[in-house]
Amino acid sequence: MSLPLGQQLRIRGMIYVAGEPVPFYWPMRSFIHHNPLHGLENLPFPEAVERGERLFHARGYLPRRLYQRYLDKGEVARGALAASVAGFVATRPGTEGVDLQRWLITLLTEMKQPVALPTTLADAADVAAALNNAAPSQERPIAPEVLAAKLREGLLGECPVYEAVDALYGTEIGASLDELVVKSCLDFFDEGQSVFAMPERERGFFPAWREVARRNVRFFLRGLHINRILSADDTAEGVIAHVMESLEVPERHWIGYFTRELSRLHGWTGFIRWRAGAKNYYWANRYPADLVDYMAVRLTLALALLRERGRRKIAYTASGLAEAIETRTVETYLRHELHSGRVLPELAHRVDDALSRRPERVLGQVFSEYVAKKRNHEALAQAERLRQLAALAGEPDAPARLAQQDLDRLMETLRDFERQEGTMWLRAMESHAMDRLLGGVSWNPPPHREKRPFVQAMFCIDTRSERIRRHLESIGDYQTYGLAGFFGVPVSFIELGKGSETHLCPVLLTPKNVVLEMTAASATNDAAVTALEKAMHALKESVLSPFVTVEAIGLLFGFDMVGKTVSPQSYNRWRKRMHPRKPPTRLLLDKLSREQADSIVRAVQRAVIVKAVQQELGFVPERITDDLIRALREAALGNADAAPELMDALGVDEAGVEAFVSRLRVAYRINPSFAQEQMARLGRIGFTVDEQALFVSQALRAIGLTEGFSRFILLVGHGSTSENNPYESALDCGACGGNHGVVSARVLAQMANNPVVRRRLRETGIDIADDAWFLPALHNTTTDELKLFDLDTLPSSHMVYLDRLRNGLDGASRRCAQERMPTLQVFSETAEDPAAAYRSAERNAMDWSQVRPEWGLSGNAYFIIGQRELTRQISLDGRAFLHSYDYRLDRKQRLLENILAGPLVVGQWINMEHYFSTVDNERFGSGSKVYHNVAGRFAVMTGNLSDLRTGLPSQTVLENGLPYHRPLRLITLIEAPFDHARRAVEFSPLKKLEIILDGEHQEFATDILDRAGVKGYTIINNLSGKGRHGFHEGHLMFNQDDVLIMIIAAVPESLVKPILEGLAPFYNEHSGVVFISDIQVTRLVKFSG
Amino acid sequence: MASYGYIIAALFLPVFPLSMAFNMLYARTRSVALRVLLLLAWPQAGVAVLSVSSGDIPVWVILFAIWTALLYGVRALALREVSIWTGFLATSAWAVLWIPAYGGAESVQLQLYALGFSAPLVLLALLVTELERRFGAAYTGLYGGLAHALPRLSGVLVFVVLAITATPLFPGFATMLDVIVTALPAMPVVAAVLAGTWLLWSWAGVRLLHGLIIGPAGEAAPQDLSPSATWAYVAALGALFAAGIYAMGGLA
Repeated sequence: MSLPLGQQLRIRGMIYVAGEPVPFYWPMRSFIHHNPLHGLENLPFPEAVERGERLFHARGYLPRRLYQRYLDKGEVARGALAASVAGFVATRPGTEGVDLQRWLITLLTEMKQPVALPTTLADAADVAAALNNAAPSQERPIAPEVLAAKLREGLLGECPVYEAVDALYGTEIGASLDELVVKSCLDFFDEGQSVFAMPERERGFFPAWREVARRNVRFFLRGLHINRILSADDTAEGVIAHVMESLEVPERHWIGYFTRELSRLHGWTGFIRWRAGAKNYYWANRYPADLVDYMAVRLTLALALLRERGRRKIAYTASGLAEAIETRTVETYLRHELHSGRVLPELAHRVDDALSRRPERVLGQVFSEYVAKKRNHEALAQAERLRQLAALAGEPDAPARLAQQDLDRLMETLRDFERQEGTMWLRAMESHAMDRLLGGVSWNPPPHREKRPFVQAMFCIDTRSERIRRHLESIGDYQTYGLAGFFGVPVSFIELGKGSETHLCPVLLTPKNVVLEMTAASATNDAAVTALEKAMHALKESVLSPFVTVEAIGLLFGFDMVGKTVSPQSYNRWRKRMHPRKPPTRLLLDKLSREQADSIVRAVQRAVIVKAVQQELGFVPERITDDLIRALREAALGNADAAPELMDALGVDEAGVEAFVSRLRVAYRINPSFAQEQMARLGRIGFTVDEQALFVSQALRAIGLTEGFSRFILLVGHGSTSENNPYESALDCGACGGNHGVVSARVLAQMANNPVVRRRLRETGIDIADDAWFLPALHNTTTDELKLFDLDTLPSSHMVYLDRLRNGLDGASRRCAQERMPTLQVFSETAEDPAAAYRSAERNAMDWSQVRPEWGLSGNAYFIIGQRELTRQISLDGRAFLHSYDYRLDRKQRLLENILAGPLVVGQWINMEHYFSTVDNERFGSGSKVYHNVAGRFAVMTGNLSDLRTGLPSQTVLENGLPYHRPLRLITLIEAPFDHARRAVEFSPLKKLEIILDGEHQEFATDILDRAGVKGYTIINNLSGKGRHGFHEGHLMFNQDDVLIMIIAAVPESLVKPILEGLAPFYNEHSGVVFISDIQVTRLVKFSG
Repeated sequence: MASYGYIIAALFLPVFPLSMAFNMLYARTRSVALRVLLLLAWPQAGVAVLSVSSGDIPVWVILFAIWTALLYGVRALALREVSIWTGFLATSAWAVLWIPAYGGAESVQLQLYALGFSAPLVLLALLVTELERRFGAAYTGLYGGLAHALPRLSGVLVFVVLAITATPLFPGFATMLDVIVTALPAMPVVAAVLAGTWLLWSWAGVRLLHGLIIGPAGEAAPQDLSPSATWAYVAALGALFAAGIYAMGGLA
């Protein structure tokens, strides 16, 4: 049985839309900072935060008391705060006897707790009575219908049915469901951590899970009749529809319902969302899964759990719940109060007792008493808060004097104000941060230099580079620059000894070029150590072996533990010595010619055939001749028939030769199509000279370095080292896809040192001096070490300066460690002695018990686009992304637009990740690292079973439970004339029209556009595609009119309607279609009049 | 006549259904002093009645006592009101005393056993008033996160619950160990049921703590236990700990 296709697709569409607010979650091997509210970025910040708070049950701003701490420390601009309050007051009607401005300022700065309490029963009249020490009037009883309406609002519609059941019966189905779903996900998505894998994962998540669930005895023992649900339909979509219909949820609520379901375990949802679209992700290709599968699994389990609990005679469908609310309002209300945690504590037991006995009379009595007490309690509590506020504001008697209407209005005002106060605090903090930055910025042009600097160093824009750059500049004649740490070259890197590609670029890009790491050194024999380590891992990961081997070799692990704990530095150095050092390597950067690629393919084929002859026919090497291999290769590729001499050489008959050749084609893939594939792969290796020149030129122009090159130009990537830290890649270079940045530095250095590339650059106006040498380096952000790479290629003329360079780098490293280590509060003696600080940093990086090896990007607040002189004189405490930019070299704002659309966006993601992880570390962050366990080798969970923990751990953003990271939105400073910057910044929303019609009508359509005032359009000819009339083939050679064309135009929204009106009569008679979509464009002037 | 004596004793060393009397009385007593008095005196009265009762304890009383210990242990699992939980744990623990009494334990030893069970319950009764004063009721699952909000009170509460659930080396542990070890050769089934009951206490204790200590703290920030009160509780717990060690020595 299967759901009709249309309905299947509709459910797919609904789940796609429902999942959009949940942000992607990338595997932790390459931790990607992202905005937790990325799916809501189309909304203004306060609205997005409000929606995110509801969706993820999280907090979008700090609690008031923490903002007040910032205020006391002088980190909030009081003037800006007062101005925000004044702006708010101006929109409100005045209340006689209340100085609203003063009250609200008092509320912000002196009240620790909220003033407007969430009252459910008490109204202004009750509060007025309480203010005058009277009880709420019993003449206006609370009608059960009012309570029923509130219950309907909270428990029906988009609220998952089991959440409503939990809130009414305390059943904890939601917790059980999450647990079962997490277990199912761990089984399916495991990437090699588990010894036993879920069977048939190749079929996809839902089909594989379905097979296991059908046979799961534990489900049966728990009374979960999964089979009954799964037999309703063969497809995931069908099961989803069946469950939703069984739960009697109206279809108009399905999308909202699905969103609520998906946001419960938003880490898993985000991971599956990302994985479903990751075309190059090995595990996704091998074991496919998407949110539809996930939803089917989740809903199946939910229905099974609900039915199991439903046997205890509780309502477990939406309509059953609605009926309970209508017909047993009193009982339902009391149940909701008790199980949703809103019950008055002093009456909790009485309510519980009454509900367990259930006679109507008792329930009625308890209800009356409860409602009266709660109403009184709410009124008293609200009155008390008002009194406190009034007293602090110096008008203690004002609340009691207020008329009921005024009081009502005042409470409404306070409620609205407290809803908006987070934004006010945030803006005031940002205002202070802006003042601080602008106060330190130098507007003087850079002084003229008589001679070139000793070293020019290009660093990543990462905030941690700010410190090391500052210290490097202070120690000698060093000139530093900042640009994105992949240096503008997207690279897919194959490391020496590894077969997989690593993308070294921001996740928004997909690199086209592959770079191979190669060595001339002979292979080393470290088989003994490797075998020992493999055996250890096998023993640890096996199910049974730990029981029998713990006594035998447990002590070995004890040595390891003692070594790592007692003397991490010495022990780690000793362990490293057990492994051979990585030999010097080169990067294969230059594009292969067709001949070279062909030669490589031939060499590989020959090697494979030699292996095949040895393995299949048992030939010893001396029997294998070049002629034999050549003949076999030609035969396998179909270039020649199997020659008779092959029979003699192989010692088999004709059929045997045919069989072997066929095996070569099929099993060993010596065939033309695979050879073609190999050629295509080889075609991705390296860059052409033009590409290399372009990348070098782009990088240099982006930072404004086009002349006056020094003898040394350092390209400093960055990375981190830490032990026992699943978040290690979060500390690495985000611009390099969460990897170390040194490879990107090596790539650009090798390109820039290439004489052919330099010649090409000279032609474009960048004259790099002959003695200028680009030298890659790595800034280890955990230890502050600056390590030089590829020194073996350094010209001998530069050797004499190397000592000075090294001394300078070492000095900067130590000074940087001296500044940074006290913030980590690991060792006390570090503030005085740079060398001690540096040693402490090194030890910290090797300490496996260290949950905070460094602060990472915590503290980020600024993104500065301009020349170094702008901020060179001030210390930004590692809080600023520094992107070099010289507007004088960018007359068309192209570079600036690229910076705004690329690095700034990544900076904003990082900033938002830190912001939200700080304001609510439990929901948006990942809580304490101490409780984390690695899940499936791609994420972490808290404890042994939880949602995947997204965001940053508390150790990254909090210190002693308080924010270390100051949660601000990224403040961007652009050094450029105002109009220059404005033109680059002005992204403007427009509509994109894609008009598809027959080519013969092109003039009609373009005429309509011209008359509408559209400034430009693009026409694409020869479209192919499928429509109502079947497939339409493009590429007709002799008739330009009989092809489909598409006209693309970006138009202001106001023009869309007139254009469509103009096209409507045409489309009534002819085939074709118009697509309209929202777009943003840069340089608006190009699109409007 | 002897049977009447045991029935009266079964009221004070509560055996179901007579145990309902104690629990009803305890639940309705609002005064903390009276609660403390009840917790201390009630089982002592039972031991006293038992000591003056002549003749062997009927086996059916023992069966009822074991059933009572198990029943109240199970019921404590689902309870959220801490006062009633205290009463149930007291009932379950005191019912265990019938086993050594059946085995011929001295009256003094029974009194000490009863005191060992009662003393931590007294501390919990005092902590209940602290919770009621701060939150309006001592009720689990309503205001979690006490570990963050009230660290001193939470710390004391954890150790008091550990003492109540007969964790090593509190007196209850020595008592349970002694009773089970003594009962094992002659009444292995009884010993097994007692061990199960003991596990239930631990489970109930964990659920109680889970509903109070764990989780995010609420916005309201009530005052924590004063340092002096904390030290007083620590001293009391220290005394219990010392008594437990002493009792363990007695086992040898």
